[in-house]
Amino acid sequence: MTTLRYVLRDMWRLIVHQWVLGLLTLITAGVMLWILGVTSLLSLNMENLLAGLESELAVQAYLVKDNTLDVEAIARRIQELEYVYSIKTFSPSDSLAKLQQKMGSQSRALEMLGDNPIPYNFEIHVNSASDVEPLVEVLKAMPEVDDVVYAGLVVKRISALSRITSRAALVMFLLAVIITALVVYNTIHISLYSRREEIGIMYLVGATRAYIATPFVLEGTLLAFLGAVLAAAGIIAAYFPALELIRENLPLLTNIIITDKTVIWRFCALLAGFGATLGWVCSYLVVARFINSMTRPE
Amino acid sequence: MNINFSGVSKIFPPDIAALVDINLNIEQGEFVYVIGQTGSGKSTLLRLITREILPSRGVASVGGYDLKRMRNADVPYYRRDVGLVAQDFKLIPSLTVYENIAFVMEAMSVPKRLVAERTKDVINQVGLWRRRSMRPAQLSGGEQQRVAIARALANSPSLFIADEPTGNLDFHTATEVMKILFAINAAGVTVVMSTHNQGIVNASRQRVVELDGGRLIRDEKGGTYTS
Ligand SMILES: Nc1ncnc2c1ncn2[C@@H]1O[C@H](COP(=O)(O)OP(=O)(O)OP(=O)(O)O)[C@@H](O)[C@H]1O
Ligand SMILES: [Mg+2]
Repeated sequence: MTTLRYVLRDMWRLIVHQWVLGLLTLITAGVMLWILGVTSLLSLNMENLLAGLESELAVQAYLVKDNTLDVEAIARRIQELEYVYSIKTFSPSDSLAKLQQKMGSQSRALEMLGDNPIPYNFEIHVNSASDVEPLVEVLKAMPEVDDVVYAGLVVKRISALSRITSRAALVMFLLAVIITALVVYNTIHISLYSRREEIGIMYLVGATRAYIATPFVLEGTLLAFLGAVLAAAGIIAAYFPALELIRENLPLLTNIIITDKTVIWRFCALLAGFGATLGWVCSYLVVARFINSMTRPE
Repeated sequence: MNINFSGVSKIFPPDIAALVDINLNIEQGEFVYVIGQTGSGKSTLLRLITREILPSRGVASVGGYDLKRMRNADVPYYRRDVGLVAQDFKLIPSLTVYENIAFVMEAMSVPKRLVAERTKDVINQVGLWRRRSMRPAQLSGGEQQRVAIARALANSPSLFIADEPTGNLDFHTATEVMKILFAINAAGVTVVMSTHNQGIVNASRQRVVELDGGRLIRDEKGGTYTS
């Protein structure tokens, strides 16, 4: 307890001593972590959006007209393909009924066809947009399958988009982490350097290296944590109004994006924890290196 | 704490032989003057004892620790038992006199109240209580030296190492400082101090270890200092 008080006081001294640099560090960390948070939230929402679209991506496979086919066995075989999330079988009469329902008042036109021309068919849902193409290839190669209908271009675009966004998000994420880490590392290094004489003296008169190191590590951790809190506040201040805007102008999207406030709050808590951890790791590394080299006897 | 040097040499890069083949044994409770011309290796000898530097050859052991083999984690605990007055004082410029002394005990997790008591005690011993809120830069050389002495006393060490503790002091203050050192020695503390001051050495007739060009040329009980 006593030691904690001394250590906290020393940390406070460090921060006060170079408060301008501390403030700059805090703000830089805040902005970077805000970017990191916003990117993460955007890419989470993008994932949600794409997942929503993907679940709409159905592949229709029409079988050849042949009464001897074992439709259930074919369905099972397709179900076992790795791309397939679910498969639904429609008999010719089901399909006709569905079609009639869709056409409504014009459904009488179908009666003119006489015999039901629709073969057995499957509605297949895939796991992700990128599964559509390979699945179509496999289906086309099956002799029992007569025709495959799917939204080809849309699928390609969606899977390309999802790849690009997740890559861009990753790059932004890493960039924000690296810049935050560098800024904290640098500030603590300056802090250490300006106190190098003091560090040597403290060690010489019997302070442990942990006692000397802790205020510096705490300084870095605190600055990064406060930066993260700043970022979290910025995210809350931006996200909820943005949500209102979307609700008013693009109500369709509200089913897909994250609207649950507790999720956002939790995300912000996570961000603060992440900031503190990042600050701790960086300052620990720089302090350990510096103090090790300072306390090595000639 | 016994000090035992056996065949100790210290060679600074590239090839400055600051100490050559020193054999020295100091028992707990002794009072030893280390004398010699400037550059003879006095500070080097004392800095070996405080483990600021390590021997290039030979074995230096203090209080049962082989200083070269000593674990890093043991160093602070060893140093808490060694009071040090460095030739350049080594005070922390950003702290006041009071804080410079208090932090040594704080680093040992001594409760604030005890720190306050002991700090006041040792500052009074060196007669600087009125200067307690000043920073080292605001003090004269002699005052800074006394702060360094007070700090070395704070932990009640069993070994007291002082590099020219009277170097910046006038005769009167030097005598006061020597009184403090004799008093702590009388209480059983080993005192090893380097000095140029012939008057002091000759006035008290203690063990004298003389260095010349890094070699130990004299080790005499009740010795004198004439150049
Ligand atoms: N870190 C170092 N690197 C290189 N040479 C050193 C170092 N420290 C001391 N020396 C050299 O070792 C020799 C002994 O130095 P030391 O400081 O021990 O002398 P001293 O007897 O204390 O002198 P003084 O009375 O002036 O304080 C000197 O020649 C000095 O230049
Ligand atoms: Mg010297």
